[in-house]
Amino acid sequence: MKYDVIVIGGGLAGLTGAIRCAEAGLKTVVVSAGESALAFASGAIDVFGIEKDNALVEFPFAAIRHLPSMHPYQKVGTGSLQQALTFFTGQMAAAGIPLNNHGQQNHGRLTALGAIRPAWLSQEGTVSLPLRTSTEDLRRVAIINIAGFRDFQPALMAAGMQQQPGFCEVEFILADIKTETLNINTRNAYELRSLELSRTLKRDLFSQPNGMNILSSALQKAAGNADLVVIPSVLAVEGGNDLIRQLETLTGLRICEVATLPPSLPGMRMASALKQRFRQLGGMFLEGDQVLSGCFEEHQLRSLKTRLNPDMPISASHYILATGSFFSQGLASDRHHMTEPVFGLDVETSQSRDQWSDSRFMDGNQHNFSHFGINTNEQLNPYRNGQKINNLYCAGAVLNGFNPVQEASSGGVAISTGWFAANRIIATMPQAEETC
Amino acid sequence: MLNIIDTSFDNCIKCTVCTTRCPVAEVNPDYPGPKQAGPDGERLRIKNPALYDEALKHCTNCKRCEVVCPSGVQVGTVIQLAKARHDGFKKGPREFILSHTDMMGSLSASTAPVVNIATQLKPVKKLLDKVLGIDQRQTLPKYTYQTFRRWFKQQKAQQTRFDRQVSFFHGCFTNYNDPTVGKHLVAVLNAMNIGVTLLKKEKCCGVPLIANGFFDKARKNAQLNMGQFADTLADSECVLATEPSCAMTLRDEYPEVLHVDNHAIRERILFAAAFITREFAKGNKPGMKPLNLRVAYHSPCHLIKQGGVIHTMELLNSIPGLDVMMLDQKCCGMSGTYGFKKENYQTSRNIGQGVFDQIEALNVDYVVTDCQSCKMQVEMNTAHKVMHPLTLMAQSLI
Repeated sequence: MKYDVIVIGGGLAGLTGAIRCAEAGLKTVVVSAGESALAFASGAIDVFGIEKDNALVEFPFAAIRHLPSMHPYQKVGTGSLQQALTFFTGQMAAAGIPLNNHGQQNHGRLTALGAIRPAWLSQEGTVSLPLRTSTEDLRRVAIINIAGFRDFQPALMAAGMQQQPGFCEVEFILADIKTETLNINTRNAYELRSLELSRTLKRDLFSQPNGMNILSSALQKAAGNADLVVIPSVLAVEGGNDLIRQLETLTGLRICEVATLPPSLPGMRMASALKQRFRQLGGMFLEGDQVLSGCFEEHQLRSLKTRLNPDMPISASHYILATGSFFSQGLASDRHHMTEPVFGLDVETSQSRDQWSDSRFMDGNQHNFSHFGINTNEQLNPYRNGQKINNLYCAGAVLNGFNPVQEASSGGVAISTGWFAANRIIATMPQAEETC
Repeated sequence: MLNIIDTSFDNCIKCTVCTTRCPVAEVNPDYPGPKQAGPDGERLRIKNPALYDEALKHCTNCKRCEVVCPSGVQVGTVIQLAKARHDGFKKGPREFILSHTDMMGSLSASTAPVVNIATQLKPVKKLLDKVLGIDQRQTLPKYTYQTFRRWFKQQKAQQTRFDRQVSFFHGCFTNYNDPTVGKHLVAVLNAMNIGVTLLKKEKCCGVPLIANGFFDKARKNAQLNMGQFADTLADSECVLATEPSCAMTLRDEYPEVLHVDNHAIRERILFAAAFITREFAKGNKPGMKPLNLRVAYHSPCHLIKQGGVIHTMELLNSIPGLDVMMLDQKCCGMSGTYGFKKENYQTSRNIGQGVFDQIEALNVDYVVTDCQSCKMQVEMNTAHKVMHPLTLMAQSLI
């Protein structure tokens, strides 16, 4: 079976590249071995938020100009990064999830532990805070949970926020809304995850004509006259942002939903919107199969062997490898080696083995292994036994030269490299329609 | 001897993705979801069988948990095996009747006209509902008077004229209920210069038996079928199945759930569309005329599980003039015998609601799916007629 493009990996990088290819009219397939890390992510997009010395970055696009040449942003360039983010925002809006940004500037996103992480795009159900918080308009913050839900702890979040310089003067109101108040039957509340809670709310509360009013008056009662009300993201996967906006209208409060321990509803919302968008554009999403190996000839990847159809190789003119980092098994390691398990591509480890990790990483030091990944040329083509593979591109966390967590750059790198790889492919395919 | 169970569920990292994508957990709060029913519960059950949770009965064995697991855990299989080990199946007369599809088929086909009228009558449906718990709101599949095997007898001479031969595992539905898909497979393969042969004897693949807890009977069937495969493969290239659940069972459930070894011939047991698209790739494509239709394709759970969607889509896309759109890959909720049981009726419909809504909102000529159980569910719950991919292909043959 022959396609124009096969994308290996159905996460943020893979889907962005796949959507771009499908939109250009290319026959595109995504092979995805299980749910991607998006289901565990915040549902916000960071571009570049933290410098090497742990200083927060106010203006990401200006800051990335100073990154070392091996960084993926230096390969795609600032122009491509901005175009890719515009493309991504447009696709998400088309899938019904508008994303907010503050021009060239980063904003602060609250985490369930009360940290403020720099982000560049956020969903509408969250409240963007200034990166360096001033408390002028924030005197009282209410953190409200639904009683019995254990993947969100208001006291823990408040304790975390109090350690932020801008929040030490803030008064915290911590409260639970009882399940009886909402008239929801949670059976064994201690087994509830965020998604199960959203289903219960849908079934027992939102199905009632006055469901939203019950929730909003409970929230008003619990939050008092708070300037900001934080609730765990448990209301809904699809349409969750709209529910927050409705609640704000009903209560007159400023409400911010925060992604909980996994599963993260804002992350799932983003993942399902991207998959839906890809299918709408005629793409084929193959879930549950896994690429085992590739057949290479003359510096080209010719075909792929998959776990479920090992006797029937699938082939394409071009391929994108977006299998993620160690967590998603795009990179593998043993005591002495670091490998790319699908094709055995050349992985850049650079340092000697005893420098891979740092025993004082809790002090803010970085593990060197976080920078490791596939070495590519400027066009994102990888090498295999030193030979460049011309029709294979790498995107996202599988790449080397950046530390997605420490720099707060995982979203921007995934989107820009996925988009960049797709554009390289489109440029070589005469049948592709130029759309952007 | 130490009785050590498979502990590959230890690869579970507790990410809960399986539960987020479980169609039953989505609509039925009584089911704790595959993470708890599978890997979590297994740890407790190993310590003390009394910790077995009755709620495992709600699992439909759709396998979606395995498809989405990022850690390769066979969650669904863990649950099925636990149900078998801990006597977690209710095995009454209803379960016997619904699951012994070939026995019921051979009893009913000879009296099909009478049985078909009877099972559509309101008083009979009421009686089946009251006495057996087969929901009266469901339409039971009709039986065919002329079984597929009987029809095939008249084709046999013609089939032997082809140099190339493949065997066809027709399954219970094609033989006893509706032989159409079998006839269309024969037409398509013949147009590709390939003859069809049947197994001398064929028993139900076992999928409904596994789903209802009749593991011994399923294993017996598996052993008989495996013997038949070995015989038939001496004279034919491979064994094809048109029913996704049959193909999955013959290829994967035999070794994994029933512990019947099939590794020597597994790669020669194929889902029909996989074989056909492989022939296409080799250049063996029949002449086809345009079918100017717009269709929506619904992918069955068990086809997703075995990686067969790519083949059906390739087959459909090869039909000239056919405009195919893929539905969101959601479960229709029927799950074979599951949806016929009174206590599951509402759950089954609630699971499928997303599929029904998406279909009703579309302007298409037909819905297309490979699975007869999905077809029943979609036809009962939408205004659309459901076609099999091979039927469309047979219509397009020159």
